[in-house]
Amino acid sequence: MQGFSDGAAGAGVGVDLAQLQSTMHTIEVACTSIQMHINPTAAEATILSLSQSPQPYKACQFILENSQVANARFQAAAAIRDAAIREWGFLSAEDRRNLISFCLCFVMQHASSPEGYVQAKVSSVAAQLMKRGWLDFKPEEKEAFLYQVNQAILGGHGVDVQFIGVNFLESLVSEFSPSTSSAMGLPREFHEQCRRSLELNYLKTFYCWARDAALSVTNKIVESDAAVPEVKVCNAALRLMLQILNWEFQNDTNSMKAGINVFSAGIRNDTASTKRSECVIVQPGPAWRDVLISSGHVGWLLGLYAALRQKFSQKFPREGYWLDCPIAVSARKLIVQFCSLTGTIFPSDNGKMQENHLLQLLSEILQWIDPPDAVAKAIEEGKSESEMLDGCRGLLSIATVMTPFVFDQLLKAIRPFGTLTLLSNLMCEVVKVLMTNNTDEETWSWEARDILLDTWTILLLPMDGSGGDAVLPPEGKHAAANLFGMIVESELKVASASVANDDGDSDYLQASISAMDERLSSYALIARAAIDVTIPLLTRLFSERFARLHQGRGIIDPTETLEELYSLLLITGHVLADEGDGETPLVPTAIQMHFVDIVEGEKHPVVVLSGAIIRFAEQSMDPGVRATVFSPRLMEAVIWFLARWSHTYLMPLEEANSHLSHDYERQLQSINSRKALLSFFGEHNQGKTVLNIIVHISMMTLMSYPGEKDLQGLTCHHLLPTLVRRKSVCHQLVSLDSWRDLANAFTNEKALFLLSSANQRSLAQTLVLSASGLRNLEASNQFVRSLMVHMTTYLVELSNKNDLKNVAQQPDIIMSVSCLLERLRGAASAAEPRTQRAIYEMGISVMNPVLLLLEVYKHESAVVYLLLKFIVDWVDGQISYLEGQETASVIDFCMRLLQLYSSHNIGKISVSLSSTLLSEAKTEKYKDLRALLQLLSSLCSKDLVDFSSDSVEVTGTNISQVVFFGLHIITPLISLELLKYPKLCHDYFSLLSHILEVYPETLAQLNSEAFAHILGTLDFGLHHQDGDIVNMCLGALKALASYHYREVCAGKTGLGSHAAGGNIAEGIFSRFLRSLLQLLLFEDYSPDLVGAAADALLPLILCEQGLYQRLGNELIERQTNPTLKSRLANALHSLTSANHLSSTLDRVNYQRFRKNLNSFLIEVRGFLRTM
Amino acid sequence: MSDEEHHFESKADAGASKTYPQQAGTIRKNGYIVIKNRPCKVVEVSTSKTGKHGHAKCHFVGIDIFNAKKLEDIVPSSHNCDVPHVNRVDYQLIDISEDGFVSLLTEDGNTKDDLRLPTDDALLKTIKDGFAEGKDLIVSVMSSMGEEQICAVKDIGPK
Repeated sequence: MQGFSDGAAGAGVGVDLAQLQSTMHTIEVACTSIQMHINPTAAEATILSLSQSPQPYKACQFILENSQVANARFQAAAAIRDAAIREWGFLSAEDRRNLISFCLCFVMQHASSPEGYVQAKVSSVAAQLMKRGWLDFKPEEKEAFLYQVNQAILGGHGVDVQFIGVNFLESLVSEFSPSTSSAMGLPREFHEQCRRSLELNYLKTFYCWARDAALSVTNKIVESDAAVPEVKVCNAALRLMLQILNWEFQNDTNSMKAGINVFSAGIRNDTASTKRSECVIVQPGPAWRDVLISSGHVGWLLGLYAALRQKFSQKFPREGYWLDCPIAVSARKLIVQFCSLTGTIFPSDNGKMQENHLLQLLSEILQWIDPPDAVAKAIEEGKSESEMLDGCRGLLSIATVMTPFVFDQLLKAIRPFGTLTLLSNLMCEVVKVLMTNNTDEETWSWEARDILLDTWTILLLPMDGSGGDAVLPPEGKHAAANLFGMIVESELKVASASVANDDGDSDYLQASISAMDERLSSYALIARAAIDVTIPLLTRLFSERFARLHQGRGIIDPTETLEELYSLLLITGHVLADEGDGETPLVPTAIQMHFVDIVEGEKHPVVVLSGAIIRFAEQSMDPGVRATVFSPRLMEAVIWFLARWSHTYLMPLEEANSHLSHDYERQLQSINSRKALLSFFGEHNQGKTVLNIIVHISMMTLMSYPGEKDLQGLTCHHLLPTLVRRKSVCHQLVSLDSWRDLANAFTNEKALFLLSSANQRSLAQTLVLSASGLRNLEASNQFVRSLMVHMTTYLVELSNKNDLKNVAQQPDIIMSVSCLLERLRGAASAAEPRTQRAIYEMGISVMNPVLLLLEVYKHESAVVYLLLKFIVDWVDGQISYLEGQETASVIDFCMRLLQLYSSHNIGKISVSLSSTLLSEAKTEKYKDLRALLQLLSSLCSKDLVDFSSDSVEVTGTNISQVVFFGLHIITPLISLELLKYPKLCHDYFSLLSHILEVYPETLAQLNSEAFAHILGTLDFGLHHQDGDIVNMCLGALKALASYHYREVCAGKTGLGSHAAGGNIAEGIFSRFLRSLLQLLLFEDYSPDLVGAAADALLPLILCEQGLYQRLGNELIERQTNPTLKSRLANALHSLTSANHLSSTLDRVNYQRFRKNLNSFLIEVRGFLRTM
Repeated sequence: MSDEEHHFESKADAGASKTYPQQAGTIRKNGYIVIKNRPCKVVEVSTSKTGKHGHAKCHFVGIDIFNAKKLEDIVPSSHNCDVPHVNRVDYQLIDISEDGFVSLLTEDGNTKDDLRLPTDDALLKTIKDGFAEGKDLIVSVMSSMGEEQICAVKDIGPK
């Protein structure tokens, strides 16, 4: 490839003008041909060769200054960036400064150039180079550059230059912000130091410059009637200010924790809430107070926006277009950003100053959103919605930094009502608009609803500090109740309307459910804020619909009502109970704290509502009613509701602890009412009856809705597992006849064999888990045995048949076998100490059948996979409990299984005319192998977690040997092709690195072929794209090399013949030393890997010192440039000698070497990679 | 293989039913199904409802196991579908004749000479080359609904 080198920089005397011109021409041609799409690969290569050639700066500068082709200039700037970042380490200080000042001068001089993108690129190059040298430059050098920029921003050189100056600062700030910085091949620490330095020393100055630039042009903009160029400057300055306020300030955090008393002010201090919303909290710290708060800066900004708004609304009263023009958008964004200002920037005066600040902002924002009905009407008539949406965002920001109470009070200073009322009215209007034009398109009302819902969520989510739900003032409660009424009305309307326009969009259902779930949780928060009103409302809505169904049975089409009930069930489920996420959810605090005057359980509104729904659900047991009313979809909602409800309310944990406070009497009353609610569905009250109903309904969905997979899935994965999750419920469950009926049906009923596979598995698991409810160990085991014995007997009998080979292929037999295996797998994964015996026996009894079935079904991949998965889950559940003898037999069985699987599959080539089937076959193979790897990993765990009474070694079983042997069997099946499946790859390498780290000595016992295969995959993994995998491989290498080194030092053989090479040309450590050095010096990798690479490299170097010396010398010899040559030699020398590096492998030494390698790479990678 | 041809080659095992009924809801991906009277491997199953509050139906995409054609079917999930009896038998390859037929050794020591070499290039090459090199080859023959075809080959030695 041709290069564009113009020799060493500074030797500019002999630079040939003609050569520069020809380079420029080549690049121009390449750029144009890319645009015309003529031979783009060659053109790209040409351009790439410019940036990869050593020191291409003269040529690039020449192109920038002389080329008429804007793209060529753009590419030249990019080339400067790439080359300078790469070669930074050996550019002289003067060269570095020259490059930056060239870029800066260039943009200033060409400020009025029409090709803005070239200017933007050059200025970002300047910013990147500035950052690259940030820690090396002396303060006065930085000052010199920034002085130049400041001069530009002051506006003395015209508007264009002023714009360029602001623009440069924008690039600079974004370079220094960790989330937007560009990669420089340096450790993260560097970026962090730059960030800190900028934040401490410059950020505020930049902000002031931007503010002054905006101030300097404001008058002109406001006064002029036509569009003036100053708008551009003002807009850029506003953007820069916004960007600076978006900075993640960190110097404030420490002081903040100490500074603010959580209980004193109305300012919220919980960081958790900020993470929940997308709202950025701005906490610049006290140093910024003068600039942002006390200088009247906010007043100026609001004044600017108001003046522009006024001007335009007079000039174009009917058009709202200017609302979307850049300066209006930037100004509004900045205003919204100011709403989220908080922290120690405000003095500790009980939040007074912050409240004033927010009030000032709110009174401007108010004009965007108030009165809500007029605003909504104007938008529906064609006005731009952006101002209203920003208003909503402003409210969200204020809600994020204030408590609900203060939030509400803010508006009271200027209006007769509180902010919550405004929020509720605003959202009601939005919901009304949503109701009237209900389309699938995302309209402004969707967006507004989402923002406002977020605002409510932020306000109502329980605060971390107090633990309880946020309490709203009475007026706020009223607002919440109104809003919830409106929301339910709109949801019901949407529901009944959706019946009409059903166009089979069920594909989108799953995707929309999770989004809906989030929305429903926000609705629930609003409902709980006014729980005394909303629960009776829901009860009334339900009873209206139940009555309607009842009266209209057989006369009118119930579909609309069914859909409304579906929505109501989802909403009510969210209002009454929380998700739990694996924990046991308590009754929501709002429900516990309210309804204090009710002491009789059956009159408690929550009991009334729950009772009504359960009685309704019970009607589904009647076949007639079921056929007309309980459609599969409605039944799904019923099951979902029952699952969620019973998790919280059914036989809840009795907890006597409650925080007694001074308001003793009231507290006592609230305890009584809570007790009434909690005990109503408790063990000694209605709990058992309701549980019985629920089990009956569950069984009915499994038997009477044939083929309804979704419904049965909800029952098997959601409702039934919920019932066995708590001991107290389990105890009751196993004593119920209905539960015994379910267990019997499971073993005998044909209908239950027709459930889908995942449902079978889950049902088996649930039934086995319920055994823990039985009082003693023997009864539990007996329960499991009688549950599973039919299945194991069937498998044993089947496998003993003489004509097994023929019978097994029949579809009905395949189906029964698959079904039984799923059930065994479900039972196996339910292993608990209590039932471990029974499940162990279950597995042992089918060991032989499993092997026989693996043989006859070797072509039936689906069955093979089930067999493997069953064994994987069984071994995983059992292995840590097994005694020595049992372990030995299980391991023996696993090895036979592996060998059998391997003998069926090794060397097999299947084909099919269909590419889909071929790739399916590959996927199946991948899944099988993944299961086998999991099996080996489970076996490995025996060495770590072992509950047995004797040690495994007693019976002569060596886990490490077993695992290596297993790996030896299956590695030939794992081709490099299959390792392209990320999960398999991950599993394989984590197993490999684990066993190499834990048992390196066993590796030495492998034969050379297996050894070579394992190392081959290791080499493959080392060059993998996934950083995790490379990391694991480096860990494995470190383990191997350090093991060998230690052994050799101790006078043993270590890896012996493998290390020396045996029949391979060179030993493994030499091979890996070469390939690791090659990787480190010449290839691309993430800087995060350098630490792990250092840990692997050190022992490798120690193992192969001779080779390392030779490689180092080769590297030095290859370098032709004498300065670079000596640099490289020095760097190599200090790599192994700096920081008192010794030849031991201890932690300190590893750390030293990490440091050395890091500085070595920074020093030399720049010029090595250009060769 | 065209439709006309397999009438002559029909070799259904006497007595064994060609297909079995099975509830549509229980047929899974990677299982078999008969669509338009052809044995297919199921590569995709999705369920939907007839109307919002109607019953579930299954949508199957299958690939003909012999000619690789894609076929689709929609069945209410509580109804029955036909599932083909797909059998696979391994034979040792003993000869390849000039006219493209193979000679296979059955378990009871007889030979089976009525199967053609597969049309797939990769498999054909493996079989021909392997046979020419004198390797011991095992071929798997898949049969269903009166049709049969070589579907896989495995090299078992010589060690």
